[in-house]
Amino acid sequence: MTDQDKRLSRRHFVGATGAATLAGLAGCSGGGDGGDGSDGGGNTLEVLHAWTGGDGARAAEALVTAFDEEYPDVDHEFNPIGGGGNQNLDAVVANRLQNGDPPSSFANWPGPNLQRYDGVLGEAGSVWESEGFEDVMVQEAVDLHQYDGAYRGVPLGSHRLNCLFYNTSVVEDAGVDPDSLTSVSALIDALETVQSETDAIPMTHGASGTWTTTQLFSSTMLGQEGYDAYMSFLDGSPDEAAVRATFESLAEILGNYINEDASSIGLTESNQNIIEGNAAFIHQGNWAAGAYRNAEDFAYDEDWGFKTYPGSEGMYMLHFDSFLYPSDNPSPEATETFLSFVGSKKAQVAFNQYKGSIPTRTDVDMSEFGPYLQETQQDFADADQRPPNLQHGLGVPSETMTALNDVISSEFSGPYNVDAATEGFVDAVSN
Amino acid sequence: MTRNTDTGDDSGDAVTDGGVAEEGQRSGFSPVAALNERFGSDFVESSQFWLPPFLLVGLFVYGAIIWNLLISLTDFTGFGTPDYSDLDFQMYSRALADSGFVDAAINTFILLVGFTLVTLALGLGLAILIDRNIRFENTFRTIYLLPMSLSFVVTAQFWAWMFNFNNGVINIVITSLGLGRVDWIGNPDIVLWAVMFALMWQFAGYAMVVFLAGLRAIPNEHYEAAKVDGASTVRMYWRVIIPQLKGSTISASVVLMVFALKAFDFLYSLVGGYRPPNGADILATKMVREAYANLNWAYASAVAITLFVMTLGIVGPYLYYQYNRGNL
Repeated sequence: MTDQDKRLSRRHFVGATGAATLAGLAGCSGGGDGGDGSDGGGNTLEVLHAWTGGDGARAAEALVTAFDEEYPDVDHEFNPIGGGGNQNLDAVVANRLQNGDPPSSFANWPGPNLQRYDGVLGEAGSVWESEGFEDVMVQEAVDLHQYDGAYRGVPLGSHRLNCLFYNTSVVEDAGVDPDSLTSVSALIDALETVQSETDAIPMTHGASGTWTTTQLFSSTMLGQEGYDAYMSFLDGSPDEAAVRATFESLAEILGNYINEDASSIGLTESNQNIIEGNAAFIHQGNWAAGAYRNAEDFAYDEDWGFKTYPGSEGMYMLHFDSFLYPSDNPSPEATETFLSFVGSKKAQVAFNQYKGSIPTRTDVDMSEFGPYLQETQQDFADADQRPPNLQHGLGVPSETMTALNDVISSEFSGPYNVDAATEGFVDAVSN
Repeated sequence: MTRNTDTGDDSGDAVTDGGVAEEGQRSGFSPVAALNERFGSDFVESSQFWLPPFLLVGLFVYGAIIWNLLISLTDFTGFGTPDYSDLDFQMYSRALADSGFVDAAINTFILLVGFTLVTLALGLGLAILIDRNIRFENTFRTIYLLPMSLSFVVTAQFWAWMFNFNNGVINIVITSLGLGRVDWIGNPDIVLWAVMFALMWQFAGYAMVVFLAGLRAIPNEHYEAAKVDGASTVRMYWRVIIPQLKGSTISASVVLMVFALKAFDFLYSLVGGYRPPNGADILATKMVREAYANLNWAYASAVAITLFVMTLGIVGPYLYYQYNRGNL
């Protein structure tokens, strides 16, 4: 090989490298807007959700099985993305929507939560129309699934937020009758009684995240200040005195009657205190009851009980688990099929009986559900009001929710600063 | 083929890669020759080796940083595309007015300085002890280095249990000494130091290994000379040995500082979410929260640029130092 040959081949090599680099770059820039969904494999239904553990995983599995039975011909891919509540799912969804690569559908909350997906959600109105969902869903579901004049998703189930669970033997030892607790002040008296009469923690609280405290705020406000004060808080015209009074009650509860390790444990460990008989009460959404059902020798009404959060009797604080419909959908037909399925009786029974939630339809036979969920469904149907929740998307947009949690983190995770927390909450929601 | 290694000659007849390039270039002006003249004798010929990675790194690393800087100058939130027509520093002034940002920046700085200094001191102490010709030297070295090989996810969960108020090992030890329990995670005045302690535990072994290599490079004569001159052990290390560990100290501290800035993984795993315990928020967690919880892309980019500038402030002087020593 002569030097001359060598130079030529090198030149070719340089040329080839340059061309390959350019091709690579072109490929990258082409990839960004290539997701128009009409290309190969576009008809596979891809659904993202966050139900990865325990009840959630089992419920999701039941949902998929039922979907396969009902629509065996639809290719699908259900991808659970767990961790950090819904945080990891939200981050993945946000990235994919931002990159123009939306999934067919993803699990999320309706209501003001939809604001953060402004411009990237399509219309699911045809599903609502063809399935007649408007006639069978509870009215709040009909209202909250519309954003900017169109339906954006379909509800799958509903949890209840204004719940107080208790360990029966602990409250009996203390001589407290939970059913008599019909106001927040009565609850505080009962906590005092548990404190003085037993060794148990009066109210167990897992505060490693701030969401449990924000959630407790909403139930306490609803129970103590009433429906109207709570609703005007959500609507952006809060009554400062009502917010302050709520925080004063909260400071009394959190400052005196909760477990000392609250800040280093989460919901799971906190809930364990109820199961093991170390604590009397816990406030949570009724997903907490899933852990009781899975615990050994821990039966409803015998070992654990439920009471509507004191003061909020006759109300059902709403939560929805829904599937949303992204625009630019990679599989429009399959997605519509899936959403029709999500709102069907079969799906709602299959999913909710394992998830520990109830159907959002009003015409579902509840015989396959346990006694606790049957009662919850009855309360849901009979409720005088169904106020939206604060922490799970239905009450305020996600940015407001983050601001509220910032306030809880900095002012109300011990020491409890009522003045600063009141000011922060009022500022965060005010229009 | 002969290989001419005579470099540094601009006359054109000495080309390091085998040398006949001047043949076709003497006849007139040639851009290749001009480039070679300007940047070195084999600039064009060697470009096939460095140009592709140069372009790729330039685009995907530095291009991305510049793009991030541009986004931080817009008002980009939510979905859609950023509007680049109206660039200003509004996001940065918003950051300065945001007490959450200021707290996070201060915490980041405390973590950076405190963690690095204490870890260096601890690593040096361990290295000196291990270097004293003790028995089971390799075993101890492995034991000290082991935490570093664990993932943040593992160590964060481990320390969450250690710091648990009721049944954490640390509080059990403290109460057995007759002291009261401490709320390590829940007390905003303490939590940052608790996190720092956990990180220190994880990285002291790394500092030890770096210092150990430095110590091993010091000739035995220095120890012997110090002893002959009658220096005590403490004095010997303080005056003779430690001053020779400058290089080790600098390289270890750069790596440690970068780990301190990356403590995001640890905090995320500690609480299982983007919001660390009150008092332990750092810029990295704040950035992710703004981007993915609030979709405030522009604001998150501004936080990211701040973090980048802090990192550059650390790595820049180090690179300059290495450059001056001829290592780059």
